[in-house]
Amino acid sequence: MKPAPFSYYRATSIDDAITALSGADGMAAVLAGGQSLVPMLNLRLSPVDHLIDLRSIAALSRQEETPEAICYGALTTHAAFEDGAVPDGTNGLMRYAASHIAYRAVRNRGTLGGALALADPAADWLTTAVALDASVTLTGPDGQRCLAITDFVVGPYYTQIAEDEIIDSVVVPRRSAAERWGYYKVAPKVGEYAKSLAVALIDPAKASARLVIGAWSDVPLVLKAGASALLEGVKQHDLAVIVQNELDLKMPSLSPAERRLHTSSVVRAAEQARS
Amino acid sequence: MNHSDTKQGIGASVKRTEDARLVNGQGTYLADLDIPGTLEAAFIRSPVAHARLGAVKVPSEYSNQVFLAADLDFAHPIVAATDDPQFQSTKQFALAKDKVRFVGEMIAVCIAPTRAQAEDIAQSCELELDELPALWDMDVATAPDALLIHEHWRDNIYLKTDVSVGDLERARKDATVSLSKSLSMGRHGAVPLECRGVLAHRDRRLNELTVYSSTQFPHVLRTCISRAIDLPESQVRVIAPDVGGGFGAKGNFSPEELTIAALAMKLDQPIRWIEDRRENLIASPHAREHRYDVTVHANNDGLILGIEAMIRVDAGAYSVWPWTAAMEAGMVVGILPGPYHVPAYAAKSQSICTNKTPMGPYRGVGRTGACFAMDVMLDAVARELHLDPADVRLLNLIKPEDMPYQSITGKQYDSGDYPEAARKALAAIDIGAIRSRQAAGEKDDRLIGFGMSSYTEQTAHGTAEWVSRGLPVVFGYEPALARLTPDGKLILHVGIQNHGQGLETTLAQVASEELGIAVADVVVRHGDSSVSPYGMGTFGSRSMTMAGGAVSVACGQLADKVKRIGAHLLQTTADAGTLSDGRVHTETASVALNEVAEAATLHPERLPEGEEPGLDISAVYEPKRSTGAFSYATHACVMAVDPGTGEMEILDYVVVHDCGRMVNPMIVEAQVVGGVAQGLGTALYEEILYDENGQPLSSTFLDYMIPGCAEVPDVRMLHMETPSPHTKYGIKGLGEGGAISPPAAVVNALNDALKSLGAEITQTPVTPLRVLEAIESGAVSPL
Amino acid sequence: MKQSVSLTVNDRPVEATVESRLSLADFLRLELRLTATHLGCEHGVCGACTVLINGEPARSCIALTVSLGGDEITTLEGLADDPAMQVIKQAFHDKHGLQCGFCTPGMLISTRDLLKRTPRPSEGAVRDGLSGNLCRCTGYQGIVRAVLKAAEDLAAS
Ligand SMILES: Cc1cc2nc3c(=O)[nH]c(=O)nc-3n(C[C@H](O)[C@H](O)[C@H](O)COP(=O)(O)OP(=O)(O)OC[C@H]3O[C@@H](n4cnc5c(N)ncnc54)[C@H](O)[C@@H]3O)c2cc1C
Ligand code: FES
Ligand code: FES
Repeated sequence: MKPAPFSYYRATSIDDAITALSGADGMAAVLAGGQSLVPMLNLRLSPVDHLIDLRSIAALSRQEETPEAICYGALTTHAAFEDGAVPDGTNGLMRYAASHIAYRAVRNRGTLGGALALADPAADWLTTAVALDASVTLTGPDGQRCLAITDFVVGPYYTQIAEDEIIDSVVVPRRSAAERWGYYKVAPKVGEYAKSLAVALIDPAKASARLVIGAWSDVPLVLKAGASALLEGVKQHDLAVIVQNELDLKMPSLSPAERRLHTSSVVRAAEQARS
Repeated sequence: MNHSDTKQGIGASVKRTEDARLVNGQGTYLADLDIPGTLEAAFIRSPVAHARLGAVKVPSEYSNQVFLAADLDFAHPIVAATDDPQFQSTKQFALAKDKVRFVGEMIAVCIAPTRAQAEDIAQSCELELDELPALWDMDVATAPDALLIHEHWRDNIYLKTDVSVGDLERARKDATVSLSKSLSMGRHGAVPLECRGVLAHRDRRLNELTVYSSTQFPHVLRTCISRAIDLPESQVRVIAPDVGGGFGAKGNFSPEELTIAALAMKLDQPIRWIEDRRENLIASPHAREHRYDVTVHANNDGLILGIEAMIRVDAGAYSVWPWTAAMEAGMVVGILPGPYHVPAYAAKSQSICTNKTPMGPYRGVGRTGACFAMDVMLDAVARELHLDPADVRLLNLIKPEDMPYQSITGKQYDSGDYPEAARKALAAIDIGAIRSRQAAGEKDDRLIGFGMSSYTEQTAHGTAEWVSRGLPVVFGYEPALARLTPDGKLILHVGIQNHGQGLETTLAQVASEELGIAVADVVVRHGDSSVSPYGMGTFGSRSMTMAGGAVSVACGQLADKVKRIGAHLLQTTADAGTLSDGRVHTETASVALNEVAEAATLHPERLPEGEEPGLDISAVYEPKRSTGAFSYATHACVMAVDPGTGEMEILDYVVVHDCGRMVNPMIVEAQVVGGVAQGLGTALYEEILYDENGQPLSSTFLDYMIPGCAEVPDVRMLHMETPSPHTKYGIKGLGEGGAISPPAAVVNALNDALKSLGAEITQTPVTPLRVLEAIESGAVSPL
Repeated sequence: MKQSVSLTVNDRPVEATVESRLSLADFLRLELRLTATHLGCEHGVCGACTVLINGEPARSCIALTVSLGGDEITTLEGLADDPAMQVIKQAFHDKHGLQCGFCTPGMLISTRDLLKRTPRPSEGAVRDGLSGNLCRCTGYQGIVRAVLKAAEDLAAS
């Protein structure tokens, strides 16, 4: 299980990386933590001719704070979130999410940008980013553009990143201090990818609530009816019925067992958020 | 027998000798070997399940690095058949000849200085494959108009068997309930953490083909290789270096071993193949995949009156040497009644050939499935009759006063108190408390269930058992050569292979028991066909009993000699002294082993008259009766199920276990716990599904899950010690047992928990989604 | 497609010219003959290949050697004199935390890191903390007991 040959280039700056990407003939890919890409290379599942390593680009490891949001360089690792080594504007939600991704050795190297670029529908960061209304800043030969996460992700493993673009950073709006969150991950084993993943956010004072279900066969879905019911304080059982109806409408392909699973995780996340 | 004062003999939890190199990362596994000039091999494996194989197009620059079936046509195919004339046998060539029959079957071997380069070459070759319909499931393969996988066969069934003992007519008539169910156990792998591997090279000085293999049976493998490529056994040496787990998967003669050995011989070139995880999951022999249709006839109290069963096993595309494709089904038929008294029994079995990976032995072999079928049925009977499953079990377990007991399938259960194990388990898990907890309900709305399972396991099968199975080899005995060196230390040369079982320690304990020598002064050499007399290897829960017996006999004889010489050196009139603490004692004086050893080896003039010089003693051991020593256990567990997500948690797991005399309780416990973890894998996590094209759907650890640290509970163990009357010290084997009961215990606990929803589980592994599916199709909606 | 790289392995500077596809694990094992690092899956799941990169545990099977220029790599061999590791090894021996030994080097390295971050873990924390290191032999019971004992012994020393 060894990779096919490829060339390796260690980019020294974002521009350098973009130039290398644009100039490459054949398939080029950027390397961040390598925790998803290198397994695929080892398995010869993704043909790559040129690998452009982003890891020495200091700018991609930066964090910037504004009153409204925190901007995380794409190379910010899961472990940095887990350890509270980077600023947090989500009342600890990102820290919690990060600590439930994979295993420590993977979290030490895996990055936020890499996870979102991969757009695995079962990934923790994807559903979390949708719940948090994050946006993704892409840099290419023509400069930067910033996309809302829901525009950025087109489908499973499919994003708006152009061939000569990289994720520069991820901008996460600060949540209100009074907001509570719930995070419910159903995984077959500790550290595995989710089979169902729900995130709930509620701030009664601001009359805001958000419910997101992820880790099904498609990209995460925002559940509006469920969120309103959550805000109204609908009791658990009735909330379950509302969520189930909403899932039936938006995810008609689910089997009864899958529908039960996702309904439960949404309701659990919601209950956690308001407990 | 000498009871050593050092407390290192039988029964002491001596810490392991082998740890020293392993914790320091100095274990030497196959991939760690460094033979100069070795080329690495990568196989081209069939990407399809069933096809006629046309040309393999090899780019011309690689023509000297790619080898096909025709290049190895001097190697005989692997044929594993039972002596049953009805058995339809397969011929598995080193590399596929004109047809491929499962995804992963080897077609060509590519060699290069690095594995990466060998894989590059493999990727550059093109295969001409004329695809045939894939017989991807046992029902598909046995459909009336199914294509034949092996053209000359009658049908796609290796072997059908049919036994009927006792008065079933009467059982049917007298029964209050006759309960029938279909049950199934999924296909999975043995999955040792170290994958397989082979390195072969010709030792020119010795004119010997040296084959290193990550194998459980080096001597037997030597025989296989010598026969397959027509070399005298004296010109083949097989060495198993440190082996990173086997569990049965490394106790076969594999086409990979054949290919690498044949090619290294042909090219006179060291060649190594290191299996990667994808190959391991796709092409290393698989395990289990049983389907059962069982009917239990019982009276009002749940007393079993008779059992009828149809057992079907998907044995895959080829018969694995030496076990044969009929092994799983054969074991199931023989042991399905298990530890219960069954007065009437009829069982039919089919070992079915499909376009899937061949089925090989895995810890527990047929018994994990048999125990699952039997115990899940007993619980179903209890539910049907509104009885507590614990009571039903106690009613049916064979009583101690009936030991030795001849089972309805003719097995000789040697000793033990089966109901006592069950009672102890019930007490330890506190069945009363569980029932009240269930009645009270859980705050988090999870459902709690209790499950138990009892098994009896034939271990250390001897000659009689293997002869009755009609295999190509009868694994009836084990040798040991004990050598006291001039410095008074001991080397044991044994035919088994130690790969985690702690045999470098426990065999030394046996020597310590006999010779009063410290374990630290004993070295155990194993895993090399040139260092010990011919032996059978490590599998089938046999090594402690068999090799332990042999070490005991050899060391016993050595002890007699040492005592005679010691007494002579001490100038006593006694014929012999006593041995302890590394010295020979008489009433007044003592002499150290090294002085005795020096006399025997370097100073024959110091020996008593007529005493032969030298301190090498070789012995062979066979148990007094070769029908096997039966270990047994009851597993009891408490599970919580989340009806919303299907997630399950093991709240408590108790094992009450009897493996006869325990040589090292610490190791016994760890062997059982390791087995339980694997059994939980069978029960809850591990499965290799195939799609309709015969493509395996789990080929990496991302989609094949083995239990991790967080998934396995802390197992509470209680020991019983009923010696076997047939074996040295009364030892019974125990390597496999832990893996037998977990699927049954877990499924019973889940069914107990799900009872209130009218839901029932009949299939392993029980994934959360399967729980939810059972709930959805159950009678009561929990929402 | 070869490239040169200089890094530090077990406190020794190493200069090498290697294929860009060469994993750190293969570099350590094949080029430097440091074979304590084992390969159980080569796709990041089993943890047998765990080493320290700049002091933090990482899977060496999915780290590319050429990308580690300037980094410090530590394998089990490099921790032979590490006092914490000695205590941990002793605990694995005392509590029968290994059988075939194949998972052991990775397990030891993860244990050392876990105890560094969580000196007195609960049993549950040990189980979660080691969930990225698969062991097929022990059923983890001996391992968990060993880690708890090592925690105790380290706290006492
Ligand atoms: C055993 C194991 C278990 C795991 N379990 C989980 C889990 O439970 N939940 C979970 O969410 N994840 C899990 N992961 C995945 C892990 O989180 C990865 O770290 C993550 O998905 C990818 O991040 P990376 O930095 O390693 O990216 P890489 O592997 O380096 O790259 C991934 C992809 O993104 C591209 N890419 C990377 N960075 C950029 C960028 N800045 N701009 C554009 N493209 C980029 C790469 O070209 C590649 O295609 C697991 C991984 C492993 C090995
Ligand atoms: S070999 Fe690296 S994680 Fe398995
Ligand atoms: S001891 Fe064998 S894999 Fe852990």
